[in-house]
Amino acid sequence: MKQHLQRQSGVANVDVSLIDGKVEVTPKEDGQIDPAQLLKATYDSGVSVAELDMTATGKVVKDSTGDFVLQVSPNHSFVLVQSDSAKGLEPLADSSTTITARGQLYKKSGGKQKKADVPTSLKLLILEVQKKE
Amino acid sequence: MYRRSFGLLLLAGCLFVPRLQAQIKHIEMRVEGMT
Repeated sequence: MKQHLQRQSGVANVDVSLIDGKVEVTPKEDGQIDPAQLLKATYDSGVSVAELDMTATGKVVKDSTGDFVLQVSPNHSFVLVQSDSAKGLEPLADSSTTITARGQLYKKSGGKQKKADVPTSLKLLILEVQKKE
Repeated sequence: MYRRSFGLLLLAGCLFVPRLQAQIKHIEMRVEGMT
């Protein structure tokens, strides 16, 4: 699994802890990495993912459908799941404020997950806002 | 003259001020076992 993940684009380093089942992925300097692709790659290597968290820096933007998203690059953004933390970020939409936040992108639902069930677009549940600038 | 110097100073300042760059910093997964 480690080798398979290290081959994915944008991945600088992968650390696997077998004791607590944790996999830490460090993106390359440019941060151009696709969490959905990592999730799929992990399932492809035969390992089931229970949870995927991400720390990212970006701007809160209201998209054309009225959803609030965290834009982490010009062509990469994550729709924010409605929560108290996300509500607190709504006033920052379309401002020049940049935030650094930790959030959950994926949590396995009950039952056995098949590869085909792995979502291709992930929504971000904000867990913690670490920085506003 | 002063205006030009001020402009150059401002430009240099913009280049060296560390900016918070939009990007994914870290990803962590909790894995369970074989599918």
